[in-house]
Amino acid sequence: MKCRLNPSKLILEGPHIEILISTTRLEFEEGRSIGLEYRELRVRALIDTGASLTVINPQIASTCKLLQTDWNRITTVGGTAGNYPAYAAAISFPGTDLSGFDAMRVVACPIIEQPFFSCLIGRDILRKWYFAYDGPNGEIEIQDR
Amino acid sequence: MSTEDKTLQEELRVFEQHRQEWLRSNPGEFVVIVGSKVVGFHADYESAFKEGLSTAGLGKNFLLKQVWAEEPVYLIL
Repeated sequence: MKCRLNPSKLILEGPHIEILISTTRLEFEEGRSIGLEYRELRVRALIDTGASLTVINPQIASTCKLLQTDWNRITTVGGTAGNYPAYAAAISFPGTDLSGFDAMRVVACPIIEQPFFSCLIGRDILRKWYFAYDGPNGEIEIQDR
Repeated sequence: MSTEDKTLQEELRVFEQHRQEWLRSNPGEFVVIVGSKVVGFHADYESAFKEGLSTAGLGKNFLLKQVWAEEPVYLIL
């Protein structure tokens, strides 16, 4: 998929993509079959080559009733370290031909509690993609690999 | 993790008890632990999750952790 912003907007907003996040496909389907309701959220995610893994706003974890599967130690740019809950989630990319993830780890960390993005796409997802950042033309390109 | 949050504490204790042994037998694999029960090892997160969910049941937490010598520290820049 190719996304054209413009050079200035790309500088201001960074490379980003809309994602759909929910409980894993398995939980979604099993839960639905017995009448449980799960929410699927559409949020904006920053593609962050500086993030080792994919991080979400903690509110998403509670809204989507994500299942906690671990704790992970995170260090941020200021050197702040802490243990944060890791959850299992499904992530897909609506309106694109990119493959989604039926069950992957995401870490809920309040460092992204700001209005622009609710998720950082980290190198755990980037390892599956070809990602090109075209600054002069204000474009990004993502392909499955 | 906050001092009050005990989520997965029992499972983490089991993990630490076996870490050295698993480093020799299953390095880099994902182990699934439900309560004090070690359910199994998997090469990838997705199949480990599937087994954990079928053992623990819908809505019940379980530990799904990769076996490394030391806990990785993930950098967010």
